[in-house]
Amino acid sequence: MPNSSDMKITDGPRGPKPRKILSRRNIILYGTLIFVAIYYLVPLYVMIVTSLKGMPEIRLGNIFSPPIEVTFEPWVKAWSQACTGLNCDGLSRGFWNSVKITIPSVFVSIVIASINGYALANWRFKGANLFFTILIFGAFIPYQIMIYPLVILLRDLGLYTKLPGLILIHTIFGMPILTLLFRNYFTTIPEELFKAARVDGAGFWGIYFRVMMPMSLPIFAVAIVLQVTGIWNDFLFGVIYTKPENYPMTVQLNNIVNSVQGVKEYNVNMAATLLTGLVPLAIYFISGKLFVRGIAAGAVKG
Amino acid sequence: MNSIEIKNLSLNFGDVKVLKDLNLTIEKGEFLVLLGASGCGKSTLLNCIAGLLDVTDGQIFINEQNVTWLEPAQRGIGMVFQSYALYPQMTVEGNLSFSLKNAKLAKDEINRRVKNASEILQIEDLLKRKPAALSGGQRQRVAIGRALVRDVDVFLFDEPLSNLDAKLRTELRVEIKRLHQKLNNTMIYVTHDQIEAMTLANRIAIMRDGLVLQLDDPKNIYNFPINKYVAEFIGSPGMNFLQGKINNKDNISFQIDDTLFELDGYNFQTIVEDKRPVWLGVRPENIVVNDGNKSMPVNFDVVVEVIEPMGADTLVWSHFNGHEFRFTVDGNKVINIGEKINLGFDPLHISIFDFESEDRL
Amino acid sequence: MFTKAHPERFFIVSIMLAFVALVMTTVGIKAQFLQNIQFLILLVSLLLVIWIGFKAGKFKIITNRLRNRALGWLIAATFSAVLWSFAQKSTQILFPALKEYRKIWNTFEPFALYAVVVFILFALMLFIVGSRDSNLERPGFIERSLVHNLSSKIAALPMVLTAVGVFVIATLWTVYHSFTNSRMLPKSEFIGLAQYERLWSSDRWYMSIENLAIYGACSLIFSLVIGFMLAALLDQKTRFENTFRTIFLYPFALSFIVTGLVWQWILNPEYGVEKIVRSIGFESFVFNPLYNIDIVIYGILAAGLWQGTGFIMCLMLAGLRGIDQEIWKAARIDGIPMWKTYIQIVIPMMRPVFITTLVIIAAGIIKVYDLVVAQTSGGPGISSEVPAKYVYDYMFGAQNLAQGFAASTMMLVSVLIVLIPFTYLEFGRRKNA
Repeated sequence: MPNSSDMKITDGPRGPKPRKILSRRNIILYGTLIFVAIYYLVPLYVMIVTSLKGMPEIRLGNIFSPPIEVTFEPWVKAWSQACTGLNCDGLSRGFWNSVKITIPSVFVSIVIASINGYALANWRFKGANLFFTILIFGAFIPYQIMIYPLVILLRDLGLYTKLPGLILIHTIFGMPILTLLFRNYFTTIPEELFKAARVDGAGFWGIYFRVMMPMSLPIFAVAIVLQVTGIWNDFLFGVIYTKPENYPMTVQLNNIVNSVQGVKEYNVNMAATLLTGLVPLAIYFISGKLFVRGIAAGAVKG
Repeated sequence: MNSIEIKNLSLNFGDVKVLKDLNLTIEKGEFLVLLGASGCGKSTLLNCIAGLLDVTDGQIFINEQNVTWLEPAQRGIGMVFQSYALYPQMTVEGNLSFSLKNAKLAKDEINRRVKNASEILQIEDLLKRKPAALSGGQRQRVAIGRALVRDVDVFLFDEPLSNLDAKLRTELRVEIKRLHQKLNNTMIYVTHDQIEAMTLANRIAIMRDGLVLQLDDPKNIYNFPINKYVAEFIGSPGMNFLQGKINNKDNISFQIDDTLFELDGYNFQTIVEDKRPVWLGVRPENIVVNDGNKSMPVNFDVVVEVIEPMGADTLVWSHFNGHEFRFTVDGNKVINIGEKINLGFDPLHISIFDFESEDRL
Repeated sequence: MFTKAHPERFFIVSIMLAFVALVMTTVGIKAQFLQNIQFLILLVSLLLVIWIGFKAGKFKIITNRLRNRALGWLIAATFSAVLWSFAQKSTQILFPALKEYRKIWNTFEPFALYAVVVFILFALMLFIVGSRDSNLERPGFIERSLVHNLSSKIAALPMVLTAVGVFVIATLWTVYHSFTNSRMLPKSEFIGLAQYERLWSSDRWYMSIENLAIYGACSLIFSLVIGFMLAALLDQKTRFENTFRTIFLYPFALSFIVTGLVWQWILNPEYGVEKIVRSIGFESFVFNPLYNIDIVIYGILAAGLWQGTGFIMCLMLAGLRGIDQEIWKAARIDGIPMWKTYIQIVIPMMRPVFITTLVIIAAGIIKVYDLVVAQTSGGPGISSEVPAKYVYDYMFGAQNLAQGFAASTMMLVSVLIVLIPFTYLEFGRRKNA
C-alpha cells in the first residue's frame, strides 16, 4: 500500500508551474505597455533632437530623425538672445523671474498652510469646518471668477504687476490644496501624542514646532514638490498679475514661440521649451515617489 | 486515505527561503491546525495548498491527485480569509452563488446549495443583505458559507477569527468545530492563537522558519514538547525553565547549584551522561503546593512575590535559584506575599531539554 | 429678561456686523452710508460693554484672572494704532520710507482703525469677564469665543480670510458685476441680464462651449478608460513597474504651455507627422489637425491626454492597491476569470475613487486655458476657443469686463452643477458608512 502510493506520488508535475516568457498574456501586457511608453516618450525625444539641430537640417529632414550635426547653438540662443517683442535678452530673464516668484511663494504658502492644517486637525474650534469647506470649494471653482476682484485688491495695495503681488496670489490659491494636505496628514498622527504633549504642558506653538513639525518632514517635502512644480508651471496668474519685465518663464516662453514677428526658429523654440520644462522635470525625477504621493494626496481626499 | 499530501515543498521569495523542504500528510476528515508566530510560513503554506502561490519545488496532492500545477478553482478547495473578503456590492446570496454561477451550474442546483449552506450556518435571514450591513461574526459565517456551497472536500482557513473580538471568537470557534463534526471533511486552519489550535485540532503542526517542528495531537504537544521553543510557545502562563546539569552519580537527577532534583520516572529518550548542561521545564499548573504531608517526589521552597488572582485559580510569581518561577494554586487558597511555600512536582510531568540544541532529552 | 449670555452675544454680533459694513465700504458699495453705520454699530457695542460691566458690578484689575489676555488685546490695539498712523501724512513725513508702500497703508487704514476700537473693546470685555469667578460661574459666551483656543483661531485666520475674504467675496463681486455694464472699469449700476443675452448670442461663446463639451467628454472618457487600463496593466506584478510609471507620469510634471508647444511642433504639417507620412510614399496624406477648423479640438485633446492620463493612472493604481488582496484570492478560489473580477468586483469597489477622479478631471477641464493659448491661440479663426480664454480675452483684451464676468459666472454655474451632486454623494456615503 505505501509502495503503490509512493509510486504515484513521485510522478506528475513538480515544482513551479512552467511559464513561457513569451506567453500570450505577456506579449499583450508588455506589448501594450511598451507601445504606450513610446507614445509618451516621443514628444520628449522630438524636443531634444529638434533642439540639437540647425535650421537647414530641420527644413530638410524629419522631426524624428536624430541630428546629423549636433549643435548647442539653439540652447545658447534660447537662453540669452531669443526675442519677445522688442526685448531680446532670452529666456534667462524669465527663468530668474520664476525663481524669484517660486521660492518665496512656496515658502510662504507652506508655512501658512501647515499652521492652518495643524489648527484644523488638532485644535478644532467652532465654525472651523465651515471655513474649511468654503476653502475646499474654492479649489474647484474656476479661477476666472476670482481674477478680477484680485486685480482690484492688488491695485489698491499697490502690488499689481509686481512680484510680491504674484506671490500673494500664489499663496492664496495654493492654500486650499495645501491646507487639505497638511490637515489630512496631521489627523493621521496619533491623537495620544498630541494629548501627551498637552499634558506635558506644551501649548499651541510648542506642540507645532517641537512635536508636529519634526514628525511631518515627509509631508513638507511633498508640499514643496507640489508647490514648486505648480507655481513654476503656472501661466494664467503670471500673465494677469505681472508686466512684461516680471513675466515668469512660462509666459515668456509662450511669447517667444508664438510671436508672429520674424522667422520661426523651431530649434530655438524647442530648446526654450525644454529649458522651461527642465526644472519641473528635474524635480519629478529626483523626488520620485514624493511626487506621486503629493499629487495623490492632493487629489484623493480622506 | 490521505486527503492532502505535501512532498518536499519549498518556496523562495527571491533569496528568502520561506518554506524549506516540507513534508506533510493529512488524512481525510482530519482537522489540522498550522500554528506558529507571525512570519513562520504557516499562511504561505496554506496559500501554496490553495494554489494562490507558485511553489519553487515539490509537489502537492489533494485526494491523491497531483494539483501542483492546477488553478485554485480546480483543486476542490474552499478558503476562508481573515478579512472575510466578501464582495461588498453583492448581497449575501450573491456572494454565495457567484462562484456557482460562474461555473454555469443549473439554477435549481445553485438555489439548493445556497439554501443548504445558509441553513447550516443559520444565515437564512441575512440572504438579502449586503456585507456592510452585517456584523463581523455574520460576515465570517457568510465567508464560510461561500466555501461551503462549493461542495469541496478540503476547507482552508486563514486566521479566520483574528478580526473578531474575544467573545465572538469563542462562539465561532465552537461553531467551526461543530461544522467539522457535521461535515467531517478535511480542514486546514492557520492561526497564531494556541487556544484555538488546542481546542480545534486533531493534530497541530507547530511551524518555525519554514519548518514544521512538531506534528502531533494537542495533548502530546502540550505534554511532550519536542524542543524548548515548542514548550515555550504552548501553554499560558508559560513553562518555567531552570538551568542546571544532569547528575548521573547514583540516581539520575537534575542539579542546580547544590540542589538535586531526582528524576525518577522521567522518560529519557536517550542516555544522558553526567554533567550534561540541560534545561528543566515544568508547567505552572503541574506544580503542587505541599501542605504538611510531602507527597511529591521533588520538593523545594520559594518565597511568594506577586499574586495574580484569575478566578478559578491564582498565579503566583516567585524566584528559585535566580530563575523566575511561576505556579498556579487553587483560586480559593489564601496566600500572602512574603510567605515561604514548599512546592513539589512529579518528574513524569516535566521536560528536560539539552542546553545547546534545546531538543528534548 | 436678559440672561447673562444675551448681551454678550449681541456684543460679538455687533462687532461682526461692523466688520461687514467695513468690508462693504472698502469694496465700494454705498461707502459713506455704511461707514456711518459701522461707527454706529461700534458705539452700540461700547454701550453693551458698559451695560455688561454695570451688571457685573465688580471690577478687578490686578487680580484679574484674564489680565494677561486683556493686556494682549491692548498690545494688539497699540500695534493696530501704529499701523493706522503709517497711513497718516504726518508720520509719512517723519519716515519717508513708508511712502513707498503708501497704497498698502491707505488700504489698511480703515481696518486698522476698526481694529484699534475693537481690540480695546475686547480688552475691556475681558477685564469684566475675568472679574467673574471661574469657580462659581460657567464660562460665558465671550470667554468661549475670545479666550478658549485663541491661538488656533489666530492661526486659522489666513484660511478664514482667504475663504471668506477672497473666495466668497470675490465670487459674489464678480457675479454681481456680471449684471452691470462695466467696460474698462467696474461699474455698479444694475442692467439685468443684458450681458448674458449678448453672451449667448455670440458665435464665439457657442464655439467655446461646443469645444469644451467635445474636449470634456472625450478627455473624461479617454483618460478614465486609458488611465484605468494602464493601472490594471501595471497591477499585474509587472516587471519594471516603476519605469513604466515614471514614463507615463512625467508629462504631468510639465506645464500646459510646454505641452502645447511640443504638440504644436509635432502636429506641424510642414515638418511634423504629415510630412513624414508623405515622405514615405503617401503623397496625398493629410494630417494637420491644428490647421483644420473641424478637428482642431482633437489636436488639443491629444496633447491634453498626453499630459494628464498618467495622473489618472496614478489615482487608479492607488485605488487598485487599496483593494484587499484577499478579495483577489477569494475570486481565484471561486474560479472567476480576471476580466470578470475587474468588471464585477473591483470596479464597483472603486466607485469612490472613480467619483473623485471624475470631479478632478471635470474641474480641470473647465479651467483649460494655457494649453489652447500655447497650441493654437484659439485658432484657426475661433475654432479652438474655450470659455476660460473667452473670459480672459474680454476682461483684459477687449476691455469689456462685464462680458467676461458673465462668461466666468457661467463657468461657475457649470462647476456647481458638477460639484453639488458630488458633495451630496459624498455626504450620502458618509452617512451610510
